[in-house]
Amino acid sequence: MTLSGRDAYRDELTALAAADDSIVCLEADLGGRGHPFQAAHPERFFNLGIAEGAMVDMAAGLAAGGHKPFASTFAPFAALRAAESLKLTLGYLSAGVTVMAPYAGVSGAWFGTTHHCLEDLAILRSVPGVTIAAPYGEAEMRAVVRAAVRSGKPHYIRTGRNAAYDSIDWPGEQPPLVNWEFRSGPEEVCLVSVGEEGTRLAMAARPAAPGTAHAHLVYLDHAHLTRAAAELARHHTRFVVIEEHRGQGGIAEGLALLLPHCEVTSVSADQSWPSQGGDHEEVMAALGLDLPAVLAAVDRAGSGAMTASAGAAAR
Amino acid sequence: MTAVLDPPETLPVLDTLAARAVEARRLVVDMAASSRGCHLGGSLSVLDILIAALHRVSAGDGTEVVLSKGHAAAGLYAALHVSGVLPENPAPLYGMAGGPYTGHPGPKVPGVRFPTGSLGHGVPYAAGWALSRRIAGRPGLGIAVAGDGELQEGLVWETCQVAAAQGLGNFVLVVDRNGGQNDGPVADISPLPHLADRFAAFGFEVAQTDGHDLAALTGLFGADRSTARRPLAVVADTVKGKGVPAVEGRAASHYVTIDAARAAKWKRAIR
Repeated sequence: MTLSGRDAYRDELTALAAADDSIVCLEADLGGRGHPFQAAHPERFFNLGIAEGAMVDMAAGLAAGGHKPFASTFAPFAALRAAESLKLTLGYLSAGVTVMAPYAGVSGAWFGTTHHCLEDLAILRSVPGVTIAAPYGEAEMRAVVRAAVRSGKPHYIRTGRNAAYDSIDWPGEQPPLVNWEFRSGPEEVCLVSVGEEGTRLAMAARPAAPGTAHAHLVYLDHAHLTRAAAELARHHTRFVVIEEHRGQGGIAEGLALLLPHCEVTSVSADQSWPSQGGDHEEVMAALGLDLPAVLAAVDRAGSGAMTASAGAAAR
Repeated sequence: MTAVLDPPETLPVLDTLAARAVEARRLVVDMAASSRGCHLGGSLSVLDILIAALHRVSAGDGTEVVLSKGHAAAGLYAALHVSGVLPENPAPLYGMAGGPYTGHPGPKVPGVRFPTGSLGHGVPYAAGWALSRRIAGRPGLGIAVAGDGELQEGLVWETCQVAAAQGLGNFVLVVDRNGGQNDGPVADISPLPHLADRFAAFGFEVAQTDGHDLAALTGLFGADRSTARRPLAVVADTVKGKGVPAVEGRAASHYVTIDAARAAKWKRAIR
């Protein structure tokens, strides 16, 4: 059975900690009962309580003492409530701390706006030196966690709630900078997928838009995005980015700046605040993130009728 | 508690620390005489605490001192220099381009691991350091030095809750209670009655002391707390501007810029 992103994280980190006693797992009361790391390594598992800022700052202290802290809480509380701690710990200090952020986007669905996070990429992308990852599926999550442990560098990893996805295959151990799920000619529109639901939508759109290419990105920080942009531009000139994030500060904006001679639009969350219930897919649709929106964006890009702007304007 | 440092500190040691404090105060006045000026009052109030805490660091057991009230950077730079941690005299370089001695300290300064100045953060940095030592089964304290105004930050109390819940006996939070903050007296802006009781209610051991009594401070910081299960709060009563009669006890000493002539006069008066 395929594991969700956060279950894959817990399982992989627990396994890695068996061979690396510097790994420490921190939770802010959202790790759930029966956390596998707690069961396997109780002396290195700390539920610090509902104290996200203190958790990230204490992770800086732990890293200074030689440990590899992995601190997890929901994305809105990590990226927004503890934003200054992320700036100082992950950015300025460049501490070897990994922040694992489930409930990214609107995966919290009916839990409401307090439990949504459509702003984290904008915040973290503006903090230099942080590796940002949004893995799609269990295999990618495991690979990203392994890389974070090996690197000793600051990481922010966003994932969803409980949905499970099968990663797109890739050759080798580490996911490539650009994972081409489907290649096509340079005249075709290229979908660029980001995160779990962005990638699911891209894969769902392809059968209805034959010939459309699909490039999936795992790492989203400026350094990775710069290199990915160069590879994308070698193959295509028209891109539609699908991301479960606001258009403002999102990946499409970043790519548009990096690719001034290409056309970059996006299917992203619009300017509204979802105020009704629903499951994940329904809340995304309320924000304009659904398959019809993706297909319409591909049509516009293909006909050359799109605007040059990213975000909801492209829908 | 047993002691890491030989208790009680001998008079010659205390004399040495007192001499360091005088020298450090003169350096702080030099920094106030720079073109930048400095947070003079709070740098002078916290100096004896820092010198005593850095004396514990010199025992080499892995104790880390974090000045959470980072606006007292001039005091920290001076204390690090006179304690032998910072080889160069920071005063001529304070606030200058090309040097690391910014108005709030950062990790480019020898002896400084964490950036502080956005108040509250130094407390969990020190708590995290203490947790790291405990996990590894190593001695050494995480000592955070906060201001009393700084206690208005929620992050401080969030960390106190965590530290008590985790039984971090090797975590020490020192409050430099000088009674002042940027816009005036703490008592007028956001009073802190029953401060010692507050820490006790969180589950801390609490000590109240004269924050300029080096013998008392070294005694508190010198203890081996590796088996303690409750963190320690030290409420240290201090005087803003301590040691410089012209500004001692004056709220206006919070941030001061003076000329060289006045600096020379003030330095001569330091006791």
